[in-house]
Amino acid sequence: MNKALFIISLQHELAMAIGNKLDLRAMLKVFLKVCFNRLDLTSAHIHVYCDQSGIPCKLRLLESTSFQHFLSIPKSKRGQPWAQNTHLNNFVEQLNNSQSNSSFQCENGQYLFGFIIPNHGLLTFETHYILGDEVQKALQPVLQKLASSCYTSLVHDSLVKEVHSRQLIEEKVAFQAQHDGLTGLFNRQHINHLLANAIEEAHLNKKIGSVLFIDLNRFKPINDSMGHAVGDKILLTLSNRLHSLSSEHIDIGRFGGDEFIILLKNLKIDYQETVNQLIEQINQLLAIPFVIDANSYKLTCSIGYAFFPLQSSTVNNLIKFSDIAMYEAKRAKSQSGKKYQAAMSEKIKRRLDYVDDMKQGLEQDDFKLYYQAQYNHYGDIIGAEALLRWQHPIHGMESPAVYIPIAEESELILAIGQWVLEQACRDIKKLEQLKLPESFDKISINISAKQLIQPDFQEKILHAIEQNDIPAKRLGLELTENLLVENIEDSIKLIASLKEKSIDCAIDDFGTGYSSLTYLKRIPASVLKIDRSFVANIAQSSESAAIASMIISLGKTLKMNVLAEGVETIEEFNCLKDLGCYHYQGFYFSTPLPFDEFIRLLS
Amino acid sequence: MDAELFTWHTQSDTLHDLQEGLSLAQNSGAKSLLVLTCKQNNYPEEVLNSLLSACPLKLFGGIYPMLTLQETLIKQGALIIGFKEDFDVTLFSQLNHVTNEACLEKLITSTLEKKDNFSGQDNFLMFYDALIPNIEGFVDCLFECLDHGINIAGGGAGNSDLIQRPCIFTNQGIHSNTVLLVTLPRKLNTSVAHGWRIFQGPFLASEVQGQTVQSLNYRPAYEIYCQAIESATEHKFNNTEFFDIAKNFPLGIEDINNNLIVRHPILEKNNTLQCFGNIPINSMVYLLEGDTETLIDATALAAITAFSELSQTTIPTTMIFDCISRVLFMKDEFEKELNAIATHCPSPALFGVISLGEIANSQSGAIRLLNKSIVISSW
Repeated sequence: MNKALFIISLQHELAMAIGNKLDLRAMLKVFLKVCFNRLDLTSAHIHVYCDQSGIPCKLRLLESTSFQHFLSIPKSKRGQPWAQNTHLNNFVEQLNNSQSNSSFQCENGQYLFGFIIPNHGLLTFETHYILGDEVQKALQPVLQKLASSCYTSLVHDSLVKEVHSRQLIEEKVAFQAQHDGLTGLFNRQHINHLLANAIEEAHLNKKIGSVLFIDLNRFKPINDSMGHAVGDKILLTLSNRLHSLSSEHIDIGRFGGDEFIILLKNLKIDYQETVNQLIEQINQLLAIPFVIDANSYKLTCSIGYAFFPLQSSTVNNLIKFSDIAMYEAKRAKSQSGKKYQAAMSEKIKRRLDYVDDMKQGLEQDDFKLYYQAQYNHYGDIIGAEALLRWQHPIHGMESPAVYIPIAEESELILAIGQWVLEQACRDIKKLEQLKLPESFDKISINISAKQLIQPDFQEKILHAIEQNDIPAKRLGLELTENLLVENIEDSIKLIASLKEKSIDCAIDDFGTGYSSLTYLKRIPASVLKIDRSFVANIAQSSESAAIASMIISLGKTLKMNVLAEGVETIEEFNCLKDLGCYHYQGFYFSTPLPFDEFIRLLS
Repeated sequence: MDAELFTWHTQSDTLHDLQEGLSLAQNSGAKSLLVLTCKQNNYPEEVLNSLLSACPLKLFGGIYPMLTLQETLIKQGALIIGFKEDFDVTLFSQLNHVTNEACLEKLITSTLEKKDNFSGQDNFLMFYDALIPNIEGFVDCLFECLDHGINIAGGGAGNSDLIQRPCIFTNQGIHSNTVLLVTLPRKLNTSVAHGWRIFQGPFLASEVQGQTVQSLNYRPAYEIYCQAIESATEHKFNNTEFFDIAKNFPLGIEDINNNLIVRHPILEKNNTLQCFGNIPINSMVYLLEGDTETLIDATALAAITAFSELSQTTIPTTMIFDCISRVLFMKDEFEKELNAIATHCPSPALFGVISLGEIANSQSGAIRLLNKSIVISSW
């Protein structure tokens, strides 16, 4: 009678020990402990079914699951974790295979009793006595309850995990909202927000702050030539270095591309000195070479800065001012940074006005093409270079040396270049209708860097030729040596393609820039133009004569015509002729002329 | 071969005498000292602290209600045993600050990790402050972390007035809320006895909070307890102190192999029974009874078992951990229990403590907190 009572009480006690905790491990530990104490066990173990990632799961047919050691009391045997105990592992393996309760007598006289936790795992008891059949039977409903509780815990665990991953995602989203994806520095929006707060604090605490705008010099060529992966690694390295400057009063952000912002707060009366020191630190950080994939890169930067609330108290103005100052620093090639001055804005404004004037000039036909004739050594006109002239309504005739660089800084150079192309084609059409000298070959136009990198550049050339119904051979393109080298592979392809369509190219300003014979040999250009700097006083300068002679020989070797620019005197002409150069352009022959006058010159 | 080198005791309660004993021990050539003192001595704490800290030898022990030396019960005085070996001592302190199982596990694991010489088959004596909250949780967790294969014997130190005071000795002084594990150099054999037998029951422990039994058979625990005793005996709770009756009728939890783990109900509070050790919720408990004869018979049997297992080639050291409640229950006849052990003990190195709770391995190997029991340990 007492035995039956004991078993009923045992069953009750074990069943009541199930499900008191939600976490699977904690729940099973409570149960296992009660088993251990009430059944006078030597050790107790639970193995659970796990999915492929090793996470406990419910056993399902046709799905890949395996059991894993989950919990033991005590944790180890003779210093060895139970998971490595061969006797236990073999017994549990057999228990799992048979999927029915089993027992085993060990060599040391101990016993192992194994039970199935339906669909969830395996329960093993080690005892120093034989566990009676009636006790084993009494465990069956307890194991069913344990299985249900395991399932509840698994559902709970997955909910906990889901909540946790949601939290992580929310944190990630919050981080991403404030940080730059590549560098992990603050992003533009957050820097703006921090700046707004800093301005307010500066007002409240009567302190000074500063915004530093940093832009890398000549980063684009690295990005273009080595690829964005290398560029990104450089930006990341630099960001990590800049991050070392951050502190309670210094925030670092990436504004975009290769532009960074540093926000300095809580500056004291020596604010200028603090900024100077920071700029020095930044330059020192940049002075360390950037070693990426075994290549070493050296970079410099331009820095502009503005103080708040001294120079402005609005976020937009402060960013704009420091940006303007940065451009001034870049223009001046200054390493020590430039503080924003009101005059800088005025200068910018003047430039913007000037660009507006150019736009207007283009619309109102204030731009004209002048033609400077090109001659051979017999004095015959072989062609002309189209040169752009702008009659400013107020300033009069503007120098191309002034307006071309400004136009190149804006997108306006594309509109101007297109106008030049179309106008030259229209003029060629008119020339075609005249009786041209037999020696006359073509009109050449100058091409800017921005035009050349337009994906539809060739299309636009061909379209202008087609629209005006002119022979393609009448149009030539002049590209500077530097322009070609910056994008050599694409340039070679483009020139070859144009040549196939009878459009020749000339290499302008040859000898002034970076040359490589390897490249030059591959460029299918037809003409080398000796820069005017080697032509001036060539009769008196043996150095210029030597360079010119070398270019002439090179042209002959590469089967290119050589044309000397800026020929102004008979001595220069004779000297060039003696050196073997037979094509010329310059004031000695003719100044650039309006189209009508050029026609007259031709006839 | 003698395991211990030096035995000294005094029945004097002065610290000066203890100091003298320590000086003698230090000059005995011993490397480790077990120092046991009686609560009744009331040594000034600060002076005792500096005396222990000044000892150049490895020192461990504690303050117990009483001590035993061979067949003598020492109610006042001290006992020093000097050992030839330098015993390893592991201290778990500030256990009152460990509030949950995870923290307890972390504390035990991190302390044991520093003891990389533990092999999982070690032999320990355990001296501990009997009034550490949840000492049973500690021994459960210690067993889980230590491995099975360990042998252990121990007893709770302190005083029977159940007011917590520092009571564990180390070279750092005197501590409370502390457990001290002393690693023995040889295999420890233990034998356990209590001599209590089933009187009434079983009862379902339907509501329990740790050591407090709130209800038995879904009725107030104290009410059921009183009714069961009053209906079968002449004891009346309304005219007698609770403890005076309860010391005769402990509770017993029966395990699957018919072993009884005894739990001593020490006081009644708001119709609940407060025991000196946990009662598992939903377990079946019995009311137990006993008399001097059954208690001593059980002890004699345990002594025979313990000493018969010992190797014949070594002269063992025997330490007993005997519950204070047995002294209170047997009164003047208690020394018969010590006689029963000494009769069977093969060596004169027999000493012990009268403890507040005892520690021993169960038959299965687990560490158990016992009440109203005697643990005979030999190594």
